[in-house]
Amino acid sequence: MVATRETVEAVDEAVGKYKYGFSTDIESEKAPKGLNEDTVRFISAKKNEPEWMLEWRLDAFRRWQTMEEPDWAKVNYPKIDYQDAYYYSAPKSDDDRPKSLDEVDPKLLETYEKLGIPLVEQMALAGVAVDAVFDSVSVATTFKERLAEAGVIFCSFSEAVQDHPELVRQYLGTVVPVTDNYFATLNSAVFSDGSFVFVPKGVRCPMELSTYFRINEADTGQFERTLIIVEDGAYVSYLEGCTAPMRDEHQLHAAVVELVCLEDAEIKYSTVQNWYPGDEDGKGGIYNFVTKRGDCRGDNSKISWTQVETGSAVTWKYPSCVLRGDNSVGEFYSIAISNNLQQVDSGTKMIHLGKNTSSRIISKGISAGRSSSTYRGLVSVHKKAEDARNFTQCDSLLIGDRCSAHTVPYIESKNPSAVLEHEATTSKLSEDQLFYCRQRGLDEEEAVALLVNGFCRDVLQQLPMEFAVEAQKLVGISLEGSVG
Amino acid sequence: MSDQALTYLDANSVAAEGPAWLDVRRKAARASFADAGFPHRRVEAWRYTDLSRLVAKTDWHPAVPHDGAVLVPEGRSNPFAGIASHKLVFVNGFFRQDLSELDDLPAGVEILPLEAALERGTKFESAFDANGPEAMAPIAALNTACARDGAVIRLSEGIQLEQPVQLIHYTPDGGATVAHTRNVIELAAGASMTLLEAQIGWGGAYLVDRVTNLNLGERASLTHVRLEDEDIDAVHLSTVLGDVGADASYIANTLAIGGRAGRLQSALHFAGEGAHAESNTAYLLRETQHLDSTIVVDHAVPGCTSGALAKGVLDDEATGVFQGKVIVAPHAQKSDAKQMSNALLLSRDAAMNAKPELEIYADDVQCAHGSTIGELDGDALFYLRSRGIEEQTARQMLISAFLGDVLEQISHEVARDALSERASQWFEADSEGEV
Repeated sequence: MVATRETVEAVDEAVGKYKYGFSTDIESEKAPKGLNEDTVRFISAKKNEPEWMLEWRLDAFRRWQTMEEPDWAKVNYPKIDYQDAYYYSAPKSDDDRPKSLDEVDPKLLETYEKLGIPLVEQMALAGVAVDAVFDSVSVATTFKERLAEAGVIFCSFSEAVQDHPELVRQYLGTVVPVTDNYFATLNSAVFSDGSFVFVPKGVRCPMELSTYFRINEADTGQFERTLIIVEDGAYVSYLEGCTAPMRDEHQLHAAVVELVCLEDAEIKYSTVQNWYPGDEDGKGGIYNFVTKRGDCRGDNSKISWTQVETGSAVTWKYPSCVLRGDNSVGEFYSIAISNNLQQVDSGTKMIHLGKNTSSRIISKGISAGRSSSTYRGLVSVHKKAEDARNFTQCDSLLIGDRCSAHTVPYIESKNPSAVLEHEATTSKLSEDQLFYCRQRGLDEEEAVALLVNGFCRDVLQQLPMEFAVEAQKLVGISLEGSVG
Repeated sequence: MSDQALTYLDANSVAAEGPAWLDVRRKAARASFADAGFPHRRVEAWRYTDLSRLVAKTDWHPAVPHDGAVLVPEGRSNPFAGIASHKLVFVNGFFRQDLSELDDLPAGVEILPLEAALERGTKFESAFDANGPEAMAPIAALNTACARDGAVIRLSEGIQLEQPVQLIHYTPDGGATVAHTRNVIELAAGASMTLLEAQIGWGGAYLVDRVTNLNLGERASLTHVRLEDEDIDAVHLSTVLGDVGADASYIANTLAIGGRAGRLQSALHFAGEGAHAESNTAYLLRETQHLDSTIVVDHAVPGCTSGALAKGVLDDEATGVFQGKVIVAPHAQKSDAKQMSNALLLSRDAAMNAKPELEIYADDVQCAHGSTIGELDGDALFYLRSRGIEEQTARQMLISAFLGDVLEQISHEVARDALSERASQWFEADSEGEV
């Protein structure tokens, strides 16, 4: 019940406003507005990248110019003018990188404090290493030494390009190819920074890795690139959390996350996404077009995606698993909450290629206000995937009569020994349960938060502890104003 | 503009020679189909059934009337033959008066071929205007442009037709021929009837396209039992576009075993509250057969219930497709929709694709869908084998039980037995093949 009380408190705290809506005034170094080969060269030069990296970017950019923006998702937004945005911005302190937290720009630290994530406290309490990404450049990396002892590489993507070019070259673009889709190709051309994780053979990463992404500069699309490689028998749990300050202009975000999971390895990737969803009339808010994919390359490998999506005006996101190795396992646990005029089109792809592969999809969509939420998923069993197994459950909950919920599952099987099950339900919040809670003295909003948390329980349980608490709070905050 | 569609239309569309209201619609349909072309895999609703490819490289031309006796091959006869009915028989898409039984129709009952109805001056403007949802509109347009004949069944208010109506299509001739037929079925308020439809062909390579416009008034009720048994080399399309009025009911049960490739598609639209519609399909496929069962149910008004069930058995290199879509409009509260697709893969090379969609804009609804794909339950098979039942028989027992959910639901007893019998024949042919 502690969590419930916290949810209720959180709801009270955030009456009528996006809790994390503020922006920090830090002079930043921008690339000129617009997108052309020079922009790509500018970004590459800024990051002092080797020639092969620049070529890779330029190749992606040239391909991107020949591609068309996809329109199959059930989302509507005004046409994006890709020439009317900045593609690079870095906090001023870039040239003179801090060696420890003490050297970090105090204004930045203040920002984190407002967001309720004091780095120092987190280091002490949670034992979480934080690679905080502020606008596009990492400014603070902690617990590096402890990780280095274990042989784990955890650094910003730019550092990885400088320090471990052979690893980046070997794995970059092997899970999400440059030509994968419009937004992934765009990202390949102009990605600014991101995280890089390498866990060597047999190592169990000694702590949970976490990155906080924030979008700060107005009109700056963020193009994160994350690459996680886990070698034979290794394990890592990676947490990604996002909040963005309030802005009126739409902001574009097109990230790419690639996971490579070798024999007997396991990756657990958790996300709490709470970017600015726009106001009650749909003004402002982030466009979130993300390509996330994991490749279970080795036998007995496992990738688990958990996501809590409460933010963004438009979400276009399908974390996927390619189950290539025999006995590999893919999991997808998702909560997508939309309120006001938010639009979510999210789901997963499970591609079964190896023998005895199994996948599990639990998706909970909650729509309130005038929002629209779509689950779009693919389960595909290829011919050689003997004894593949999939279980999919996608439930939708509707709050109010002006929102909508859609389910678009694709189920394809080419192997008779595969067993695929899919079930989906759509329902509204039970009047009886609401009445029961109200009769026990909870007010309507508390009751809704409680019931919705119950509806999402299967997924919330998958989150690492410190995220689970934050996520429960978010569920309450996101639905604020949806009843009564 | 599609060259493939233009060539096809030039060879097969009907010249403007009918009544003015129809000519206008044929012309518009021709233009619209020429523009859209045959649906292909890049059209979302046809991603699993590439009709454009299926009809490509064939010099399609209209079928010609088949006069004289129709010699139905053994085991392929009309399963409803023993049932006393009013009967419409079409051969190669042309009405055959001599084989039909349309005497002694009760008052308020109109059963006749479309051509005759048009000659009488009856207008079917709304039926020919109904093109269904986007997924089906190209086929409706193709049919309007090319259909010459079909069945017209109209019941006046309150008529409870005792005898079922049989609608039998034989296709004895092939050779790249096509037959487009259009049926119009209208039941006025409170009317009810049973329609027994059989589509049987053995002419080799041919294309048949049948579109049925269904209009059920308030409290009307239509029970639709269908056998689809086209030639193993034929391509067949069956489209039902239905409007179901308040408190009306439409229940369809289909057994599909024929065709090289086929698509059974229904679009059911609720026009009044309290209506019920369901469409259930059992299909048995072997060799390289392909069957696509697509259903769109539009809960446009509150308080309606719908169901869609597809049960597929796929052997050899057969492929099955189930595409379901339930749309619940804003304010269509208290809607209740169910969708289920189950497929059994009996062979290494069989494949199944399912896409059960929900599109919901109202909150007080119960919508559920499910899909399973797998092989016969090894434990159940072992149990039967351990009781001394031969493998082949045991498999057949399990598959019959699997199909039972569709076939056992048929309310007309004789029709139910007839279709179950057809399904068992399928197994027998299978076991012969394996010896």
